[in-house]
Amino acid sequence: MTNQTSLQGKASRAMAGMIGSAVFASALLGSSALAWAETITVWSGYPEMTHFYQHVAEGMKASHPDLEVKVEAIALREHEKRVALGLTSGAAGTTIIELPGSTASRYLENDLLPAAPEAVSAFVKDPANFGQFFVDSASRGGVVYGVPLFRGQAALYYNTDMFAKAGLTEPPKTMDDYTAYAEKLTQRDGSGKATVSGWSLRLSGGGQGIAEKFWINLFQNGGSVLEPAGDGKWKANYANEAGRKTLKQYLDNVFTKKTVAVEMPADAEAFERGQTAMFIRESWVISDIAQKAPDLKYATAPLPAGSIALPANLYVKGDSQAAWDFTLAANTPENLVWLLDNVGWLPNRSGVDYSSVTSAKPAFAAFVDYPDGYKFFTLPAIGPIEEVLTRLAAQLTAAFGDAALAGDDAAIDAYLKAAADETNSILDREGLLAK
Amino acid sequence: MLARRRWRFAILALLPVFLIFAYVRIYPIADTLRLSLFKWDLLSKNKPFIGLANFRELFGDRLFQDALFNTTVIAFGVLVITVPLAMVLAALINYRTRSRLAGFYESAIFIPHVVSLVPAAMAWKWIFDARLGPLNAFLSWFGVPAQAWLFDPFWSVVCIIVLCSWQALGYAVLIYLVGFKNLPVSVYEAATLDGANEVQKFWRLSVPLLKPITLYVSVVTLVSGFNVYAQAFVLASDAQGAPGRQVRVLVLDMLENSFRNYRFGYAASEAVILLIIVLVLTLLQFGLLRERATR
Repeated sequence: MTNQTSLQGKASRAMAGMIGSAVFASALLGSSALAWAETITVWSGYPEMTHFYQHVAEGMKASHPDLEVKVEAIALREHEKRVALGLTSGAAGTTIIELPGSTASRYLENDLLPAAPEAVSAFVKDPANFGQFFVDSASRGGVVYGVPLFRGQAALYYNTDMFAKAGLTEPPKTMDDYTAYAEKLTQRDGSGKATVSGWSLRLSGGGQGIAEKFWINLFQNGGSVLEPAGDGKWKANYANEAGRKTLKQYLDNVFTKKTVAVEMPADAEAFERGQTAMFIRESWVISDIAQKAPDLKYATAPLPAGSIALPANLYVKGDSQAAWDFTLAANTPENLVWLLDNVGWLPNRSGVDYSSVTSAKPAFAAFVDYPDGYKFFTLPAIGPIEEVLTRLAAQLTAAFGDAALAGDDAAIDAYLKAAADETNSILDREGLLAK
Repeated sequence: MLARRRWRFAILALLPVFLIFAYVRIYPIADTLRLSLFKWDLLSKNKPFIGLANFRELFGDRLFQDALFNTTVIAFGVLVITVPLAMVLAALINYRTRSRLAGFYESAIFIPHVVSLVPAAMAWKWIFDARLGPLNAFLSWFGVPAQAWLFDPFWSVVCIIVLCSWQALGYAVLIYLVGFKNLPVSVYEAATLDGANEVQKFWRLSVPLLKPITLYVSVVTLVSGFNVYAQAFVLASDAQGAPGRQVRVLVLDMLENSFRNYRFGYAASEAVILLIIVLVLTLLQFGLLRERATR
């Protein structure tokens, strides 16, 4: 009995030892495997880009079997905070950061992002791949720091059913047309209150969006929020006739013609629900409509004079060839066509055949087939640009709610002058004001 | 000797906790005070000392003035609603304490305090919606035209006060209930014998006796009111042009100056102003509400 017990005990201990060894060996192998795998993280400020970056990562599996790509896409304002804190505190691991060129400039000024390797720099600088505008947006002092990927570019979206019902056969051609069209397209209830806005305007909200949308309309009238004065200096350029005409148009539509109200549903969501007849926005809306309102009858059209073009580039924090390979992989023709087709942001690379997408989705035509003389502007790559636009947005929000300004040119001029003085004081504080 | 050893043991036992407290509480406050005297954009290695220049600029800043005004109105608005209402509700619950529903009343009033802030604010955003909100639907039964609650400069502030009061009420009622349960019964019995009715007993006895509770509740409510941010942000937030007017409050202005405008020194000076305001108000409250006997 004692021998049997002793034998059983030995067998149990041997079994336990074997199991323990097997567990230890697996853990060792697992950790070794993990040590060989490289992990890179992609930070994006556009949640709709998640699937694109995952698609790019999938495509890299053949050439980089051990590469793990984590995509962390959050809302734009939160992304900006994350980048500000992450880069200064030293984000762990290799991070690919998607940033507009204008925002990246302050990080480049403070040496927080490394220059691109030679091969990547050569790819970006090749005129067959990118126009000079995009090369400049990803460079500083002639040195390439990032890889251009996509841009935000605005055009008009309009509901063709509502246009037909209002007897309108073509999109508006001038800014005066916009107001005339808005009057015809506005739908009202029995009391005369607008139930469907004729032209959805950005009238409320935090952040700088209001100022950016105002700038787009201002550009059509020949103005701009900031004007370069040479030698890296700038000054406010909206306390003038162009600014008055632009602000007056907003106030006219809100208070005089009442084609839109601040509390009405706005923007892409309102357009998809048939709560507005037309609005100005970037190309991502095309994919958004395809998902949320596939039966919506709409078309797009270029703006009267030109559009904003806000390039977004990919920068790499950390020393990783695989990360730079990812930025190049994102720019392969196949992936760029996928981006345009599935997300809707406009790729920046030239020499790629996008016709398979643009012919299937004619709405893209307004973004790629624009008339001769069509001009573009972008946000200046200066440090205080966000502060300038955020403070202007606060001024504009107050103006859009002030009925007393409507129809009073002198009051509008005074309002714009006060706002422009504030803009110039910010530039002066940073040593950027043109004298 | 023994007393010294015990003293040393007490110090050593408290030291780790005190070090952690100093690191997460005292150090950030001290560093904020220091940072307010510098010009710093978070990113640059260059951090020049500029003295009180941030404070001078702050007092001429229109947006800061708006934020300070809005925050003060909201904080005092919440205080004026929460404290008296909490006292009355606690008195009613305490009066019916033997009722089977007393527990239900307590829970019902306390639930808003434990509900997560963001979903609660989103629910109130729907309630205040100009077109689809039930508030306008309810008011329409009485012939009141629909109001754009979240867009009007006055009503948007009132909406935030309502939301903050709704959340603060539960905690205040709970504290007052504790106070009521600890009041001496003999005083009320004497008042009953003297012919006092319930309202007189409440006003002449409960209110003065609950002064220490009122002091605590008002300090906590006021400090919390001055730190309002999430409610203002959620009621006006949207990715595509807000459903509401962004009411500028101090914390929001600070965050904007820090992470949008990259002016950390300037934002730190705002934080210092907020700290001074809250300290002064707290001291004022102590002076007004502290028991005479303890002076």
